[in-house]
Amino acid sequence: MVKIIATVHSVQQAEQLLHLGVDTLYLGEKNFGLRLPHSFSLCEIEHITKMAHENNKQVCVAVNGIMHNQEIEKITPFLQFLEKIKVDAITVGDPGVIHLLKKMNLHIPFIYDAQTLVTSANQINFWAKRGAVGTVLARELTYEELRAISKQVSIPTEILVYGPTCIHHSKRPLLQNYFNYTQQDPSHLDKNHLFISEAKKPETHYAIFEDQHGTHIFANNDINLLPYVDQLYEAKIHPWKLDGLFVQEDTFVHIVEVFIEAKQALQANRWSDQLKEQLQQKLLTYHPSERGLDAGFFTKDANDIK
Amino acid sequence: MTKILKRPEVLAPAGTLEKLKTAIRYGADAVYIGGNDFSLRRRAGNFTYDEMAEGIAFAKKYDAPVYVAANMVTHEQDAKGAGEFFRKIRDLGIAAVIVSDPALIEICITEAPGLPVHLSTQASAANYETLNFWHEEGLERVVLAREVTLEEIKQIRQQTDIEIEVFVHGAMCISYSGRCVLSNHMSKRDANRGGCSQSCRWKYDLFEMDHGGNRDSLLEDDEAFSMSAVDMSMIRHIPDLVEAGVDSLKIEGRMKSIHYVSTVTNVYRQVVDTYCEDPTNFTFKQAWEDELWKVAQRELGTGFYYGTPTEKQQLFGKRRKIPAYTFIGQVLDYDENTQIATIEQRNNFGVGDQIEFYGPGFTHYTTTITELWDEDGNPIERAPHPLMVVKMKVDYPLKPFDMLRKAKEQR
Repeated sequence: MVKIIATVHSVQQAEQLLHLGVDTLYLGEKNFGLRLPHSFSLCEIEHITKMAHENNKQVCVAVNGIMHNQEIEKITPFLQFLEKIKVDAITVGDPGVIHLLKKMNLHIPFIYDAQTLVTSANQINFWAKRGAVGTVLARELTYEELRAISKQVSIPTEILVYGPTCIHHSKRPLLQNYFNYTQQDPSHLDKNHLFISEAKKPETHYAIFEDQHGTHIFANNDINLLPYVDQLYEAKIHPWKLDGLFVQEDTFVHIVEVFIEAKQALQANRWSDQLKEQLQQKLLTYHPSERGLDAGFFTKDANDIK
Repeated sequence: MTKILKRPEVLAPAGTLEKLKTAIRYGADAVYIGGNDFSLRRRAGNFTYDEMAEGIAFAKKYDAPVYVAANMVTHEQDAKGAGEFFRKIRDLGIAAVIVSDPALIEICITEAPGLPVHLSTQASAANYETLNFWHEEGLERVVLAREVTLEEIKQIRQQTDIEIEVFVHGAMCISYSGRCVLSNHMSKRDANRGGCSQSCRWKYDLFEMDHGGNRDSLLEDDEAFSMSAVDMSMIRHIPDLVEAGVDSLKIEGRMKSIHYVSTVTNVYRQVVDTYCEDPTNFTFKQAWEDELWKVAQRELGTGFYYGTPTEKQQLFGKRRKIPAYTFIGQVLDYDENTQIATIEQRNNFGVGDQIEFYGPGFTHYTTTITELWDEDGNPIERAPHPLMVVKMKVDYPLKPFDMLRKAKEQR
């Protein structure tokens, strides 16, 4: 069965997502998780976890940051808390956290999520042997590559079906540095609406923001694999992840609904071109038009990439 | 403080066999090269097995280990033949491989036992538990993420036994290495498979955009938004790195020239030895830094070692003209009786030019060319042809493989 994973903006939205039929809520707090729509308190994480479990649904907490000593020192109580409240899994991108789980004898299933670094079946199997119960696929994989990976792995491989793709993570405050150099006060700017464009391609719009992990830059368009969900379904490439980082929380609920409809139609053998077109139109009414959508590397030819 | 016995290794890049030999002659304790496959600098003139064997034989005379960078992040099919590659280079005498991809690490450990593995900086190891993880996996060394501070290194040293390697000089990714795919998305060139098109150094517009798609540019003073980092130089801070317990000091640049490699290696060798010989009385000589500026390609900074880099460590504004010197030749032979030096030309020079000779051990000699002869002893004014052999009289004892440079005319 295809599972749907969705990010969470608020406790109230978590409730809506559960009622819609989201299988796993993905959330976290800002010190250990990367690029999240909201940073939840421990109390809220506990509350949402309880709520999910009452609905027979799951919670996955983001612990996928690149950790420095300081984070490693603070993370043990956080992990102990997550174990205590029985979250279903955490994402981990730093092998230091895997080492710590073992050392501290913490029993929390982990999903390996090192963003750009998960690109082959052999890598996934490496992490599976070290206890990973799942992995998050890099966005830079083509359909053919995804299919080849899917055939050779034994753990679920999450694929982003909707949302932004981070294509650059710097520890440096690149925006602040620019504002300092040009002596600007950025305090009036809305950090969710900043973009850069290539000088040679002025139509491009790569979202950019800064937080305590540094600077994050995102792909020109957000990912939308709705037109290809049947291929994902057949090739058993799932769970499907939706990331609402750059959309309003109510809008995101509608977008998630579109994908849940698609999933249900596929499972009931009701998928058709007509339904695909209908759902695509629905998605477009909700997706922020200025951001753009495409299939990313999914539709590219692996041989075209040098 | 008495003499420091455990000196950190000076590790130099060697893009070609000639660069390997040059680096070692100029004081590198170890060098790293690229194999034909699995390396991130596909254009860095990677070594064939025969060249590797020759390089290893040469390095052996100096007790210098040769490492191979195999730091690509593989996709399906890319790892084919990796086991055989690792066994082959192990049997040739390669001292270690530098890897970031866990699939390649596993292949190396299981299929080429006895070949030590170093974790590449591409894996962004930034805390001691990550080092402990890889130590338990059987790795011998970790090249730290460039984002680690000096204070963090000291702490990491106390909490781990695995060897620590850090970058001390050269160009830097402005991102966490391995976590940037700008090049993949902007020009279909995979940064993690050797195709990086250096998109971070391009010029960008920075703007605010509302839901209607209306853009409001935030560029000011005609300054484009850019993410270009200055290059790293830790030459003034070698004592800090030695005291922090770092095992290896890495110089970046398998693509760089023999002029660059010889100069930078020479300086780091000099500073590490001077400090370790007598830490108490160590004082930094400006000449060491000045020497690096002769081959520097960008402004220089200390990266994250002393805190998060500000705008001063990015390339904004008008750029200074660097490098300041041109590499013009290499000494092939020196006859002490006649004081005649035989030189292989690398760039145009001639009578009237003020030139500088330098050699291993940080020797320097400056002179003005008054007479120049071709190979057959005919007087000439200029040496215009690449690799042409010329002779000149130099009243300073030179050695083969000493090099010549001249200052560029400043406009």
